[in-house]
Amino acid sequence: MSKALMLEKPKGIRLVDTDIHERVQYADLLPYLEDPWRRYILDCEWKQEKHLPYTQPAIAGLDRADARLSDGRPAGSDLDFMKQQLLDSGGHEFGILTGALDPSPSSMNGWYEMGAALASAYNDWQIEHWLERDERLYGSVHIAAKDVQTAVREIHRVGSHPKMVQVLLPLDDTLWGDPYYHPIFEAAVQHRLAVGMHHNEPPVYYGKFPRYFIEWHTMIPTAHMMQVTNLVFNGVFEKFPALKVLMIEGGFTFAPFLMRKMDEQYRHLRHEVPWIKRMPSEIIRNHIRFTTQPMDEMNRKDFMRVIEGLESEDMICFSTDYPHWDYDSPIRALPSLDFPLKEKIYSTNAKAMYEKLPGGGRQ
Amino acid sequence: MRQVVCKTSDVNPGEMQEARFGELPIVLCRTLEGKFYAFSNRCLHQGASLADGMLCGAPVPTDTPGEYRYEREGQILRCPWHGREFDVVNGGQMLADPARCLPRFQIEIEDDRVVVVR
Ligand code: FES
Repeated sequence: MSKALMLEKPKGIRLVDTDIHERVQYADLLPYLEDPWRRYILDCEWKQEKHLPYTQPAIAGLDRADARLSDGRPAGSDLDFMKQQLLDSGGHEFGILTGALDPSPSSMNGWYEMGAALASAYNDWQIEHWLERDERLYGSVHIAAKDVQTAVREIHRVGSHPKMVQVLLPLDDTLWGDPYYHPIFEAAVQHRLAVGMHHNEPPVYYGKFPRYFIEWHTMIPTAHMMQVTNLVFNGVFEKFPALKVLMIEGGFTFAPFLMRKMDEQYRHLRHEVPWIKRMPSEIIRNHIRFTTQPMDEMNRKDFMRVIEGLESEDMICFSTDYPHWDYDSPIRALPSLDFPLKEKIYSTNAKAMYEKLPGGGRQ
Repeated sequence: MRQVVCKTSDVNPGEMQEARFGELPIVLCRTLEGKFYAFSNRCLHQGASLADGMLCGAPVPTDTPGEYRYEREGQILRCPWHGREFDVVNGGQMLADPARCLPRFQIEIEDDRVVVVR
């Protein structure tokens, strides 16, 4: 099978892949759910409501066509196949699991009791079937974030597991920098967890969906920009100086523009946010990281121009987004880069952020 | 260099198949009319194996927003990863960016054998 044999190892680097989507099916979660939650799924065929009107971007929908399983299960649902196609062929030292979109307890728009039960079941399933079955895999704590108390309880329940490295928050129409949500960041910091933000189905056009997928997908970085702006000006990083946030799957090329824009606004409007005592760009440089994927085709000169704009080599972390249709190849997505920048992007920037990875934390 | 890569009956019209031309991975595409075409099996973009993609048609360019016409069945090769479309019968041109083409190979049919020539 050709698809399993393509080697994708970047030379001389052991990769940390910061966005891998393992896939659960409702039946997998049943053993981890109690009644009545189990019964709502079994008896009433409960399913999470989804909104995206277009799921057709590529020939296998939202998945890489060659990642589908021959027995009909969806891409990302079999660890052995993932090992063969991704972890072994990509030379992964570590991979961070970020879940899949369906079901996604953290992005439910109501019935948070169900969301919380689903999040706990998901976390237990993830630990047993993925984190404890491959030493390279590390996990994300799923929470029903809009119900802050139960979310914090869940972080305390599983956040100390040695292989949990971050709390996952969805990018949708909630601005997570609001003080109401700060206990989530507090709990993450207590357990030495980063916070990963991954878009789910953000309504990128003024709270609505545009007509076409191509518009929606083009504008996803705007949802990331809103969250970064919101976190910084709401003082999240002033309140939790140890907090690290990874913006997942929005790319990074927008960051230099945003940092410059926020600094300029701060010079004019500091009086409104007097708790901010540093330039926003400095806060972002210290606390926020961005994944590479989805990479635009860039040559080395274009790429280095973005690095210059960031004024830092420490802010970008490689990610594949396996097994989704807009997967990035470890050897083909980025232009050729010199050491040590190459090593930082493929490996050490992520290790510095994820304290609990072996060799992780500030070096 | 000339190399027999398969028999004509090995690939049905409208299907494609992976093969080797010397060391090179290639993809053989057979249109619905039965004609063979051969290209490098590595996508121009990030190198996906094109044989894992799909030989299909495409919504062809139209003049009116909102108008769709799905045509050219069996002539468009879509990549299994990011879905770029390559025009099999027009030199492997990328539909969205025709200046970029898949590397292609000549095909000659000798009796029932498919011969790749370069
Ligand atoms: S690898 Fe073929 S479209 Fe990206």
